[in-house]
Amino acid sequence: MLKVTRRKFLQYTGGSVATGLFAPLLNIEDISAAAISRPLPPNTPILVLITLYGGNDGINTVIPYTDSIYYSSRPEVSYKAETMLPLDSELALNPAMKGLKGLWDQNKVAIIRGVGYPNPDYSHFSSMAKWQTGSPDRHVNTGWLGRWIDSQPEDPLLAISLGSVLPPLLAGAKRSGSALPLGGLVVPTGSLAYQCAQLSQPIKGESKLMAAAATSMRNLFNLSETVQPILKTPVLNAPDLPTINGGNAGGDNNLAQQLDVVGKLIAANAPTKVWSVSLGGFDTHADEANAQASLLGVVSDSVTRFMSQLKTTTRAEDVTIMIYSEFGRRVAANGSQGTDHGTSGPVFIVGNGVKGGYYGDQPSLKNLIKGDLAITTDFRDIYATVIEGILKSPVETSLGQWQGRVKFLKPVSSALG
Amino acid sequence: MEKNRLEISRLVNRFGFGPKPGEFSANLKVGLEKTQNKILSNPETDTGLKTIKDLTLSDLGPRPKPNSAGVIDFAVARRNQQAQLTLWWLDRMVLGDYGLKEKMTWFWHGHWATSINKVDFPLVMYKQNQTLRANSLGNFKTMSRAMINDGALQIWLDGQTNSVKSPNENLGRELMELFTIGVNRYSEDDVKAAARALTGYQVVRSNGEVTVNQRRRDTNPITILGSTNTFTGDSLSDFLVDRPDCQNFIAERIWYRFISSTEPMPANFASKKAFSNREIYPAITAAAKSDLLANSKYELVKSPVEWFVSACRALEIVPSKLETSERLFNYLDKLGQVPFAPPNVGGWPAEAAWLSSATSLYRIDFANWLIKRSQLQALRNIPVSNRVIESQNWLGIFQWSERTKSTLNSASSDPAQFALLALCSPEYVVSA
Repeated sequence: MLKVTRRKFLQYTGGSVATGLFAPLLNIEDISAAAISRPLPPNTPILVLITLYGGNDGINTVIPYTDSIYYSSRPEVSYKAETMLPLDSELALNPAMKGLKGLWDQNKVAIIRGVGYPNPDYSHFSSMAKWQTGSPDRHVNTGWLGRWIDSQPEDPLLAISLGSVLPPLLAGAKRSGSALPLGGLVVPTGSLAYQCAQLSQPIKGESKLMAAAATSMRNLFNLSETVQPILKTPVLNAPDLPTINGGNAGGDNNLAQQLDVVGKLIAANAPTKVWSVSLGGFDTHADEANAQASLLGVVSDSVTRFMSQLKTTTRAEDVTIMIYSEFGRRVAANGSQGTDHGTSGPVFIVGNGVKGGYYGDQPSLKNLIKGDLAITTDFRDIYATVIEGILKSPVETSLGQWQGRVKFLKPVSSALG
Repeated sequence: MEKNRLEISRLVNRFGFGPKPGEFSANLKVGLEKTQNKILSNPETDTGLKTIKDLTLSDLGPRPKPNSAGVIDFAVARRNQQAQLTLWWLDRMVLGDYGLKEKMTWFWHGHWATSINKVDFPLVMYKQNQTLRANSLGNFKTMSRAMINDGALQIWLDGQTNSVKSPNENLGRELMELFTIGVNRYSEDDVKAAARALTGYQVVRSNGEVTVNQRRRDTNPITILGSTNTFTGDSLSDFLVDRPDCQNFIAERIWYRFISSTEPMPANFASKKAFSNREIYPAITAAAKSDLLANSKYELVKSPVEWFVSACRALEIVPSKLETSERLFNYLDKLGQVPFAPPNVGGWPAEAAWLSSATSLYRIDFANWLIKRSQLQALRNIPVSNRVIESQNWLGIFQWSERTKSTLNSASSDPAQFALLALCSPEYVVSA
């Protein structure tokens, strides 16, 4: 399989949106940036979630570079020690992650090691469903952030995913996050707009899918009138990075483009607390080393650039980034210069509000469980911390009585009150 | 309302690609049973397809090295072949008078989901498509064997790198999880065992020819799902297809794509029993004749390709004649579904995934573009005063909601606007 993308993970129940939402005024030419009419209050924390589809090889991301087992178990899939970026005497970042290494040196990166869930599933689809629903023990139709969306006042701009299909992590039972395609939304105007509005009115007692079809059209107009003017503004400057041909380096890929759009909308004070972006292609069964380095380079460069862009806004302190994948990969290489599906992997948390450093125990390469890494941190510990510490909401609605936390956030300074 | 209107609407939209003008009214006239028989008939020749020329794709040979002389010619030829192949298939879906075989080929393409983005050579994808079509209503055991020996599937799932010295689990895992028995019906040890049985395959990349290299094969006995034996890829395929889980799994997939992607399959779903000999035609017949089609809760959303094809049938548009095909592929891509390029080995999603704000926008834009390329003859033939009601038959709709009726009513004297709203209405996007 070449590419596992977010499109697969979409079998959620279409939530219907209640009637109050419908705004009849649809001509975007008449509307300037509506974000200004109800901007996100200053100092409101913002979460940016980056999903790496396909199963990122954690061992080649945060590399146990002084452990001889690393080299002996995957001779053709290991990197040369001198090219790696040492974090301490045991672990090093992938050679392509120079930008992230710089942020680590500034104490802005938390690396949570050995993250997974009990009874690991080796299927991309099942495992990603467990991560995105936040429910590894039983199947549910809602995402861990979708349940949080359900608990919040209704707002189609509250949580936004970049790309035309919505990942299930943003699917709630009552309503869901919105999907924003990269090119933005240029909606019909005039009488057609009026008729589309008519065509998408909610009807009482309508079936789930019919209601979802109507809602999607209705939300289109709501989202568009707010967002479109902002998308037309130029990409934010990234003052820390060298300028190449009039633009910053690293923008030539889809993840960077997604984060450019997120950056613009954050700078424009969009009332959005959760952003979801993604990158696919991590299913490196064959010829892994080069492919993965190039993908991790994209992640590292895009995140660094985004962090730099935020410095030109008033939101630099408010944004926290979380990077995860559905599983790590087997310790031993498979002989096609690749690795097969495995278990735990590292999760990265990046931001000015993050206490940099390691969290969770590094799984041993020696004491494997059926050839795979042990799981030392449950992903729900991280989710609970995010919901409480970033989204400032009770954990119960999303994760029930889950007790575990990971203390990767700085205590909130009283000056912000 | 006509008797069995809901079932007939679902039959033409789910087991075919929607009605051509006049077809739905004719179905209503002859009633449910005769419509079932028409939908399920699979004649040798289909006069609707007679204008489509046979497709011949040449073997492009090995891909030239980067920066070498032939690389541009190769890229252009490859691109042309991919466009030809895609249009050829879309034309078949749009022009056929008997859509079942094409619909089933489409279903199996989503089941054995293989993407040209890794396979690279259109000829190899074409051969897979022929294999799927030849077996689409036949025996699943035969199909599964044929697919194990299909060059595109082998390349897609790294089969040619799987050898006794260095096993690669990709094909073995997906063969069990996604193709034959379904997830959680095997252990991780079974995956490793299946990978060993599938060693040795070699593929010529440019034409998909598959051979087995005995020296690369792991010929030791393996234990899989409790049975210890020496397996080849073929016998492993037979073994998995014979498992009771395969009967259940394929019935589940039929349920998911033809009846409901949101409701669970009842244990007594008729297709399951009908699949006991692993014959596909009886299984799909049982689904089409199931009285569950009369139950309003079993809705499905038209996927983007299904929506496009049914719109072309209603608008009397031939995909290969659309100017330009690049624009067409671009629309399908934005909506998230291009034939021969599923997003991953799990195939395309279903239901609400196709109902985002973004897809709703692209659908409006796409419909607008299509309508400009149609004479809208069928719609124009309906007197203005009857357009709202009779357009339900034109498009094979169960029934317009009051909301849609009043919207269409406001556009009834403007055929282009009327068609646009009808094709983007919730009732058309969702298959009842």
